[in-house]
This record gives sequence, C-alpha cells and structure tokens, in this order.
Amino acid sequence: MDTPPMNRSRALLQKIAWSIFTILFVIILNFFLFRVLPGDPARAGIRDPRLKKEAVEILRIRFGLDKPVINCFESLNPIKVGSCDVNPLDTQFFIYIRNLLQGELGFSYHTNRPVTEILSERLWNTVLLIGAGQILAILIGVALGVFAAWKARTSLDYAAVMVSLLAWSLPTFWLGIILLFWGSANGFPLAGKATPGMSSMPLLQQWGDILWHMFLPTLTYTIVYMGEYTLIMRSSLMDVLSEDYILTAKAKGLSMFQILKDHALKNAMLPLVTVIAINLGFTVAGAIQIEAVFSWPGLGSAIVEAVGRRDFPMLQGAFLLIAVAVILANMLADLTYTYLDPRVKME
Amino acid sequence: MKQKALYVLVLVALLVSACGGGGQSAVVRIGWAGSPDTLNPGMAILVEAYTIFELVYDSMYELNLDGSFTLSLAESVSTSEDGLVWTYKIRDGLKWHDGQPLTAEDIAFSYNLYKDTPEYPYMNGYYTPYFDTIVATENNEVVLTLTEAIPNIESQLIFLYVLPKHVWEAQDKLEYENFEMIGSGPFKMTEYVQNEFVRLTANKEHFATPPKVDEVIFQTFENQDALVQAIKTGQVDMITEMPNTAAESLKADENIELVVGAPLAPGVTDIIFNQTDPENCPTEEGGICSGHPALRDRDVRLAMAHATDKQRLIDVILLGLGNPGLTLIPDGLGVWYNDSLQDYEFDVAKANQILDDAGYADTDGDGVREMPDGSESLTFRLNWPSDSINAPRMAELLDEMWAQIGIALEPQAVDPDALTAQCCPAFDFDIMIWGWASDPDPSALLYVYTTEAIPSGSSETGYSNPAYDELYAEQQVTLDFEARKDIVWEMQKIVHDDVVYIIPFYDANVQAYRTDRFTGWLTGQAKVELADVTSLVLIEPVK
Amino acid sequence: MQTTIQTSEPSNQVTARLLGFWRTFRKNRGGIVGLWMLVFIILVAIFAPLIAPYDESSSAQTSISDIYQPPSANHWFGTDDAGQDVFSNFIYGARVSLTVGFFAAFISIVIGGLFGLVAGFFGGRWETFLMRFTDIMLVIPDLPLMVVIVALTKPSLLNIIFVIGLLGWTTTARVVRSQTLAVKSRKFVLRARAIGAGKGHIVSRHILPLVMPILVVQAVLVISLAILNESALSFIGLGDPTTLSWGQMLNYAFGRGAMSTGAWWALVVPGFGIVWVVLSLTLLGQGLEQVLNPRLDTHHLMPAKPTVRKEAGEQPAGKGSLLDVQNLSIDYVTEGKARAHAVENVSFTLKEGELLGLVGESGCGKTTLMLALLKLLPAAGQIVNGRVYFKGQDLTELGEDELNKVRWSGVSIVFQGAMNALNPVRTVGDQIEEAIIKHLPDFPKANLSARVTELLDLVGIAADHKDHFPHQYSGGMRQRAMIAMALACNPQVIIADEPTTALDVMIQAQILELLDSLRKKLGLAIVFVTHDLGVVAEMCDKVLVMYGGVTAEYAGVDVIYNDPRHPYTQELLKAFPDLTKPKKKLSSIPGYPPRLDALPSGCRFAPRCPAAFDRCKTEQPALHRVGANGHIASCHLIEASK
Repeated sequence: MDTPPMNRSRALLQKIAWSIFTILFVIILNFFLFRVLPGDPARAGIRDPRLKKEAVEILRIRFGLDKPVINCFESLNPIKVGSCDVNPLDTQFFIYIRNLLQGELGFSYHTNRPVTEILSERLWNTVLLIGAGQILAILIGVALGVFAAWKARTSLDYAAVMVSLLAWSLPTFWLGIILLFWGSANGFPLAGKATPGMSSMPLLQQWGDILWHMFLPTLTYTIVYMGEYTLIMRSSLMDVLSEDYILTAKAKGLSMFQILKDHALKNAMLPLVTVIAINLGFTVAGAIQIEAVFSWPGLGSAIVEAVGRRDFPMLQGAFLLIAVAVILANMLADLTYTYLDPRVKME
Repeated sequence: MKQKALYVLVLVALLVSACGGGGQSAVVRIGWAGSPDTLNPGMAILVEAYTIFELVYDSMYELNLDGSFTLSLAESVSTSEDGLVWTYKIRDGLKWHDGQPLTAEDIAFSYNLYKDTPEYPYMNGYYTPYFDTIVATENNEVVLTLTEAIPNIESQLIFLYVLPKHVWEAQDKLEYENFEMIGSGPFKMTEYVQNEFVRLTANKEHFATPPKVDEVIFQTFENQDALVQAIKTGQVDMITEMPNTAAESLKADENIELVVGAPLAPGVTDIIFNQTDPENCPTEEGGICSGHPALRDRDVRLAMAHATDKQRLIDVILLGLGNPGLTLIPDGLGVWYNDSLQDYEFDVAKANQILDDAGYADTDGDGVREMPDGSESLTFRLNWPSDSINAPRMAELLDEMWAQIGIALEPQAVDPDALTAQCCPAFDFDIMIWGWASDPDPSALLYVYTTEAIPSGSSETGYSNPAYDELYAEQQVTLDFEARKDIVWEMQKIVHDDVVYIIPFYDANVQAYRTDRFTGWLTGQAKVELADVTSLVLIEPVK
Repeated sequence: MQTTIQTSEPSNQVTARLLGFWRTFRKNRGGIVGLWMLVFIILVAIFAPLIAPYDESSSAQTSISDIYQPPSANHWFGTDDAGQDVFSNFIYGARVSLTVGFFAAFISIVIGGLFGLVAGFFGGRWETFLMRFTDIMLVIPDLPLMVVIVALTKPSLLNIIFVIGLLGWTTTARVVRSQTLAVKSRKFVLRARAIGAGKGHIVSRHILPLVMPILVVQAVLVISLAILNESALSFIGLGDPTTLSWGQMLNYAFGRGAMSTGAWWALVVPGFGIVWVVLSLTLLGQGLEQVLNPRLDTHHLMPAKPTVRKEAGEQPAGKGSLLDVQNLSIDYVTEGKARAHAVENVSFTLKEGELLGLVGESGCGKTTLMLALLKLLPAAGQIVNGRVYFKGQDLTELGEDELNKVRWSGVSIVFQGAMNALNPVRTVGDQIEEAIIKHLPDFPKANLSARVTELLDLVGIAADHKDHFPHQYSGGMRQRAMIAMALACNPQVIIADEPTTALDVMIQAQILELLDSLRKKLGLAIVFVTHDLGVVAEMCDKVLVMYGGVTAEYAGVDVIYNDPRHPYTQELLKAFPDLTKPKKKLSSIPGYPPRLDALPSGCRFAPRCPAAFDRCKTEQPALHRVGANGHIASCHLIEASK
C-alpha cells in the first residue's frame, strides 16, 4: 500500500520540468506579445514637435530597437521582413534571452531605472495588499462558510449565502470607489500606501500609518473575494459533515467544536486550497482595479502604465514575475494538499 | 479568534496614526495625478519631472508667469554684435544644497553635458542644437558660442538645468537615477518614492527666492476624483488638476479657492483634418495617406468649422472653463497669439450653403452628402486617443453637429501609441481629436504646419504651403522682437484662413487651493500654475 | 453494421426530461429568483426604446446646467457628466452589457467546451496538449493580457467581445474535460463503442447530452464573468467609448468627477445594473447546479429535533441491566412530506456480558434504532416516544454535553462499513488516542501510545500500523481498527452495526470471533446488528427481530430458532441454511420491506405474509407475550392461538 518513494520523486521532477517549460513558454510569449503592439517605445506615446527624428533614432539605438526583432523580421508591427542572414546573436530576441539568462531584466524605457528595482518595490506593495486581502478573505470566508454549513438550512445560513453571492457580484472597482468616498468622509486616506514624510517616524508608527492606508483597499479586496470562499467552504463542509467519520466523531462524544476543528475543517479545506491557488492568477485583475482606485503603488498599476508607455522591459519582467508567482503558488498548493490529504501521496 | 486579533491590530494602527502627525513646521501638501518619470533631467519627458526640476534646480533664466524672462544664476549678460557669443557673468557665493560652491564651471559642465549627449531627447535634440562651444572663464563667466544667431535664447536656456559637476562627473549620464538630486534651487530633495510622493524641504539660503514654508510634498493620486475629494477633506492643500465637472462643487466650498487661467505650458485641443496631398505623401517613412479626398477641399473644412458650436463643446466638456481656439498658437502665449483673427461664426445654414455651392449634394437621400462626382459619401473616420476621457464626449457632440450639414462620422477610440503610428507620418486617418502642449516660444508649434514636418512625423495634417514655410524659416532667424512677432501673426492668419485645423478650445488650467492653510498663492497673473516655483516660494501659512 | 442500439433519444423523451428538469428546478427558490431577475433585465433591454424616456446617449440641447443634475421628475436617476438622462442610458446600457456578456460567453463556452470534449474524449496527446495549454493560460494574468490585446486591436465592442471570449474559456475546458471523462466510462457509451459506433456519433449522441447540463451551468457563470470583465476594461479606459455600456457609464462618471461632485447617482445606477445581472446569473447558476447535482442538504452536526414523549414510561429495570430501551419510537420529519415512522414501540434490555442480536432486512429501522440510543439521529430524525435507560439514566432526556460523557465511554459504536467511518486525513492511532484523551482526561500522556498499541494488538493489528492512514489499511483491518477504537474507553456496551458486511468470509469470521472473545474477556454487553442469522445463532443470547420499524419478535436465541412465532421470523429462518437440518429447502421471502413513508395500514408484514388473513390488512397487531422468559411477538395469530 505504501507508495514507493521513486514514484513520488518522479512526479515531483515531472512537475518541476513542466513548470520550467511553462516559464520558458511565458518568456518567449512575453517577447513577441509586446512586440506586436503598434507604436514605438522610443516615442512612448509622446508626440512633441520638439522631439526630433534624430533624437528618437538615438533612443531606438539605446533600447536596442534598431536591431531586427529576430532573423528574417525587422519588426512585427508593422510586419517588415528583413534579411535572414543577420547574426542571430545580434537580434532583439537573442539579446533578450541572453540578458534573461544573466538575470538581467533590463532598464525600464520609461523611468530609466532597472526593472528589477521597480518590480521589487511594486511587488512588495502588491503582495502586502493581496496578502492581507487574501488572508482576511480566507479567514472571513472560512468562518462564514463554516457558520453557514453549521447552521445549514436556517435563516442564518440563507443570510450568509445571500451576502456571499452579493459580495461576489460586486464589480471590484465599483465597490472600491464607493468605499473610497465613504472612507474619505470618515478620515481615511484617499491615496497611496503611506503618509509622505513618515519615514522619520518610529517604525511602529510607520507601520500603523501603512495599515491605516491599507484599510480600505484591503477591505475592498476582502469583500470581493470573501463571497467565493464562503460558498466553497460551505458546500465543501456540508459534504464533509455528512460523511460517516463525522458521525463516528460525534459518537465518540466529541463536542461540536472539536469535531469541526479536528475532523471537518482540514478535510473541507481541500477544495479551497485549489481555488486559492488558481485565484492567484486572477487576483492580479483585482489588484489592477483596486490599485487604480486607491492609487496604490503596486504591480497592477505598473503593468497598465507600462502597456500605455510600451515599456517592454517592464512588461516582460512583470509578466514573468506573475507567471513564476502563479506557478509557485500552484506548487505550494500541491504541497499543502499533500499535507492536508495523506491520500494524495499515493498518486 | 484570529480575526479578532487582526481587528485589534487595525484598531491599534488607527490609534497610532491618529496620535501621529501634527508638528510645527509648515508643510504644503500638493495633490497631483502624475509622478516624475525620472529625476535625470536629460532623460525626463513628463511635465511632472520638470515641475520638480524647476523647484530643485536653477537655470540661467527664470520664466515668469507673465511670460517674461529674468536672469537667475547670472547677474548680467552681454551679447556680441553678430548675436553669436553670449557671455554670462555668474553670481558669486552661490552654493549647492550639499554646501559646495556653484560656479561657472558647473554651468559650462552642464551645458556641455547636454550638448554632448545625443541620448537626451529634448536637452540635446531641441535645446542645444545651436550650441557651438561653452567655456567657463576664470571670472566666473560662462561664454556660450552659437552656430547661428537665434531670437529666442532665453526660452532655449530655461530648461537647461544647471547640475553639480562634482556629482555628475562620476556618474553614468544615461543610467544615473539622481535620487539624491543635489541642486541649488529654492527647494532640496528630501525623499522620493516613485509613484507615491516627492518630498522637498525649503532651501532657506537660496540667493533669490528663499521659500517661506518649510516643506512641500507632492502626492500622487491616480484618480482625479479622489484628488478633488482630497482637497475637500483637507488631506491636501492644493491640487494641480481636476475634472472640470468638479469645479462647481469646489467653488461652493468656502475654504477652497478655485483658480482658472491659461496654463504655464499652454495646451491646445485640436480637431485634425488629414489633408495630405498624395504628392507629399512620405511613403519612405511609412506614409499610407488614406485620408478622405473631401478633406483636402478647404470648402468642406470651412463648412465644418461653421457647423461647429465651440461654445457648446466648451460648456459640455469643460463646463465652460476654456476659451474658443483659433490656431495652434494658444492665447496663453501672450504676445505671440494673434488676437486680431476673426473666428468662423457658428452658422449651420451658412455651412450647408457652402457645401451646396461646392457641389456636395445628398444624391441618394440618406442624409449624408456625396462627393461632387458622386463617388464617395462624406463619411469620415473620427479617431482619438483612448486615454482621453473628454474626447469621446466631444466625438458625440461633433457627430450631432456635423450631421446637420450632411456629414457622417465613424467614431473610434484608438490606443495612444497605435494612434501615433496611425497618425504621423502614416496619415492613415480622416479626422482626429488630439492636442498639444506648447513651449514658451511659438516656434515649436509653428513647425507643425510646415512641409518639412510631414515626413518627420510632427505634421498631423499633411498641410503644405510654400508661403508659410518661407515665413517659418524667416522667423527662426529674425532677431528683432517686433519683426518676428509680425511674422508669427501673419503665419497664424494663413493657417486660419486655410482652416487647417478646427481648434475647439484652448485648455484652461483649473486648480484649487485651501484658503485656510496657506496664503499668498500667485494668482492674478496671465497664467496659472500654483505648483510653479514662483508661487511656492511666496506662500506662507495662514496664521 | 448495426448501430441502432441507443440510436437517439426520441424528441418526446428529451421534452420529458426537460419538463422533469423544470419541475425540479421550479422548487429551487434561489434559481427561480435569479431566472426572473434575468428575464426582467433582458426584457428591459429588448424594449429599451419603449421604456427609456430619452433617446440613447442624446446630449442634444444640453447645457452646463444639465450636467450632473440630481434625480428629479424629468430625470428619475439624474443626469450624467454630459447632461444625459442616467435612467435612459442605464436602460440602453443593459443592451450593450448583456450583448457583451452573452456573446463573449458564447465564444468561451464553444472553445472551452470543444477543448474539454476533445481532451476528455480522445485523451492521449490531444489531452496532454490541450490541458497543458490550458495550464499556461491560467498562468498568464488575464486582465493584463486583455489590456495588451485591446491596445493591439481597437477598443470596439466587437473586439472586446472577442478578447473577453477568447480568454475566458479555461475553467470551462477543465470542467467539461472531467465531465467527459466521467461520461466516457459509462456503460452505454462503452457499449456503443464496442458495437463500433463512429466517434462523431458517440460524441453527439451520447456524450454531448450528458455534458450539456454542465455546460449550461458553466455558461451562466461565464456570462457574469464576462460582464464583470467588460466593466473592468471600461473602467481602466479600454472599453469602447462610443457604445455606452454600464461599465462605460461608470468610466465616464469616475473619470469626470461624479463622486466628488456629489453625483452619486451616476455611479450607483450603472453599478447596480451590473450587480443585478451578475447576482441573477449567479443565483441561476447555483440553482441549476443544485438541480443537476443534488446534494444532501443535511449533515451530522445539525441540531437534533427535540424528544417528545407520549407516555411516561416505566422505571428502569433493576440492577444488572445496562441498557433498558422502553417503547422507543422514531419518526423522520421532512418538510413538505408525511412523517415516516421509522421505529415504533421497540423495547429491549441488555445485561452485562449479554449479546443481543438485532435482525431484519435492510430498511427495517435497525440502524435508526441504534443511532437513536445515543441520540445520533440525522437532523430529520425525532424520538417521538419511549426511553433509553443506560445504567438507570434516561439518555433521551440528556443534553449534548451530558450525552458526550456517555458516548463512547459508556456506549460505543462500531459502524457499518468502516471504510468511511474513519477520518481519511488522520492516522488511525491518532483517532484512537483522541477518544482516550476525551474521555479519560487523567490518562497519563506518556502511556497513550502504548495503550493504542495494546488496543490494536487486541484486534490483531501490528503496532507499526498505528501511524498509518486509513487508506493504507485493508478493509478488514479498518473494521478491526474501528473495534479497537470502540474499546478504547472501556465502554460497557458496544453497538456493532453490521460490522461484517462487505467483508470477505474469512475476515468476517475473524471479526466475529474477536468480538465474541472480547465480550468474554472484558465482560462487554454487545448489540449486534445483522441480517445474518447464522452469526446470531452462533453468538447471541437474545434476538430482536425487526420488521418495518416494529418488533416482530423478541426472545432468547434458542426460542427464536426452535419456536419462532412470527411468520417473518419463520420466513427468515427458512432463508437460512441450517446445518442441523441439511435437507431443508431454502426459500427467500418474496417482495420487499415496506417503505417507511408508505406503511401498510394493518400488519406491516401482511403483504408478504403467507399466513395473512383479513384482519392483518386492517389492524396492526399488538405485542404479545408468549410464554415466560420475555418472549414477545407481534402477530394476530398469537392472539388467536391463546
């Protein structure tokens, strides 16, 4: 009955190999996806009679945009066929790959700063927001779901389900705007992640300030995601609670609380773990909207801005980062799964 | 249980932050919708970056809100007879924010840096092409030699910020992020978090204009509605922009003063007609020149101008806060603006008459006129950049207005970069709604009408008029102010007569400040820019 | 080649199925509300020109004073940033938003459905390729991708429909694939394949009809996601500004200062539209899902129905009696249905070391009776009469907390089919320890592990299996582990509910032997629920035969075997091979036990009873004492013979 360790490590290897393949795919997609966009990154959407043709040309050389995209193609939008005899190492594509191999994400065309530097600033802010939002959404969602399942078929249950459905139906940005204006009338800050000038304050105060700024965006995020978790938790717990082993636990004289805690929750969490991991990919969409409403300096708004500015290095870096994050999250979900459900190890 | 703990944590945070703040120093909090792209003056493109440069750096001249220039770092200037050699005597005792002395050496270093770095798109490409040599003398003088005499040296020099040689020497001039930003201006850079805020403290030792306040903070609000809310709730003391729709509600607030006027960098909203002559099509640069042939006919453009109710556009889109426009040279440019021109009056009957006379008749009875030869109907593609919130409203209104003269539109928003690709020099459109921001000198926008600008991508209309081109070249080298002004006025008359564009309005700058926080904002001027250094050094806290 | 088997569902059959579906769906309150909400807004969209007081996005004749006017008689929901009537734009906006939602969802469903079907049906390389592709799509964040693609194309309504449609299919593909996989292995599909039916035929005739319902549910959800996506795209300025969707209305309001101007109506009204549609679709989807995938809406932790009692009952039996069940009656109460009398008037006693066999066919109320002893009935179950004395204490009177003290430490249960009776995510040892910790709080922690090993040893499980999970046990081991767990807190009574069904004969024998030896060793009293009379004959002291929820006969084991008085007992014995009477003809009882919600009015066994006469059909027989030794049987024949 025991699984030979061989299989497990092989499955793990397979998983890792697949993840690497996915990342490679994203890397290649990243390159071409943004290069088919119309427009010239050297001009970055700026039309200005003061911006001379020569100046633009020099910028193109600086960004390496004067080189052919890849052998046989000068550019992708508009499609310009070029010579196929160029040294492949001297094309934009291979320079991009070579830089990536050296861990170089390049310089942002727009801000003239290393992409890694900007991404790490922005990522941290978004992780803070999404992290707090997700954790709260999970906690509240699970609590409400457990409550609804426990009180199944009572008016409290119906109320909990209705609240969740309603929360799920709210457009993220719309809820954000409404909370923003409700909050601003009640002394909550309207923008940003911290009050400017807090850096000279003691650390505790700085964190207090950040939490204060986080409150409304996190609340928005929590409400929007909470509903889904409540519904999943409720139905999953309903399933678990009608299992035979719950009857066993009850017959064993365990209290309601003990049964929930020791026998039902862990099992009922399983479907939730999958959903949370998959959600992480979609959660960026929520982040974009919330960051736009609350002027939260995160990854989402950086992406939208970078699209507008045709900031290829930023876009490539951000998409790669998100892909890696989602893959890691899925792996983490798998690990959590094996921890939560010993049966999974069999596969 | 865990939620409770978190809730408590949030409460603690609220208490902590409620206790914080206060303080005795006078801090001006300014809300704006952008953030500098980079603090490296050579690489910067966005206007927000220039706002910060103006506060932290000094340059040879200062631009006043009335459009005039005054010497700043130099105490005097002398010019050679031929106008080629300019000698600036630099003030003594100038200091950088880090305490080092600022001398002619630094200025010469900065100008040479700009001149010798072709990657600096504006500084090199636009402001230094006439520079031959820049030398610092032992007398703390800067000797600037030009390749040809130009009439507008002041406007060329105002954006050439003077950088400390001792800092910049050691840096990579392209990749240097310049976060420390050692300058000499009235404010010092204290803290900068991109896309969040810029924090400046007063340089009370500034030689000319030491600020009265202690600190200025620019905070980024990505949405303008929140910006308005922020000044209402007192989270900021001044806002640099807002949706015009919010103006009324701010006016009603007794603690808020609304300021409306021509912007420091005057803006123009334009309706662009693609009138490129197939002969002028810049095919080598990717020209497609698919413009509707009717738009090459001045009568059609004239009829459309008569059918455009500019006041209604201003009312609905700007809530009345703007002036009807004539040509690309906005009224904000002061003397350069030809105010003697008479606009085409709004008269639908007259517009219809013009089209009838020119032979554009609705032959198939569908309400849309056809070309005189019956080949095509007067249905025009109308494009605008998708990041504009006002343009689609304008498109709606134009659609209604022009329908009355038998012209149909196919409105379509386009991504701004895609629109650039479609516009110039491809000329793959019929009509566009777009806009310009102007330099203090009219030359840049006058260039847009030239034939030379067609292949370079600056011309949006493909308009070509040899007489105009000649005048453009002439004003470039006319040193006499009055003579140059006459030429510039004449040029405006030509393009207005030819109805190259319809200029619905010149955008006004709509800003607001809280009257209960700071006083002394510079408002009664020809232009409005509360975030300009001229204003920020004057204001002081309300007692 | 013949392919006429399962050729097609005749259309009337399809209609019948749809009708049946509708009948079930109609009872789903949420689903119906959602459906009406959706129909309402669709009607509004269709009849927009009739309803809207003003023309679509008409700003003709507007002036400054018309902008952001609050709600009034002329403009029910005020005016927007261009002075247009918000109510009219809201109604026309419904058209755009719904169009985007439906068409985008259509694209997503077609792609997702196709991918899922192909991957699920063909498997192999196709499946690997398509599912890997789906995985990659999940890794790339969708909204940023949409931003990129909208920038690439032009933001027209058509393009937005395509973008949303082309990116929204991943979940559908996954769901459809797993459904296809499940359907593919169904018998009739396998049969059709064996006959050589073409792939297209199988997919269109057999698989698609069963995948369709899932696809419909999925479609409903995808529509709502598409509408949310459209509004999000409009909000970040990538919508089509020339067609006024609700999202676009919000974009204008947000971009042109509605909130700070105080024009909340310009924001609230279109947002409300989105919430309305998404909520209606979600409700509808949930409803459909519940109808297609019915789940029990009850579970084991729902509060029990209060015990009621018709008669006072007697005092508990004297000393030596551990369990004294008196006149216990149990009903199942379900809303909208008649009460089902699952157990009526059952009594028995159990002394120390005694083994009572509880016999009867499936559905005779045996398990209900056993669960009721410890008040473990499902939520619908209610004790409507009788008492359960355990050592003189009436368990039916106790609250949960007090019951929890008796459960397992006084009376423990070995459940039927221990496969699911053990928690799959906790080790067996852990689950045994848990019982000890709960009931013997003073038990030294250090000895816990040793005690568990001892218990497992007692039931013949090696100590090293202590830390294994239930799925690592064989069926017999699980059953024995269950017994070990039941013994953990030294109970006086063990209820063994068919502990040996579904096990092979060898293991059955082992387990029975084990129970019997434990009884002797530990002096346990056991209630043994079974329908295996052989086991009863071998081990039990007393036998309670139940039929249709009532006592058929109750007596000592010898009496039951040698002098059965109830025809049901007699019939049961006939169906059981007796080694002492090898020539006896085996016969089974024709028919089935009655359904609890449709009990016959007279004797419950009457319809199947070979000796039934008229009275049996009208009158329920009382419990009759037969001789001494507490032999009881409920049959009119006994009365007659007295």
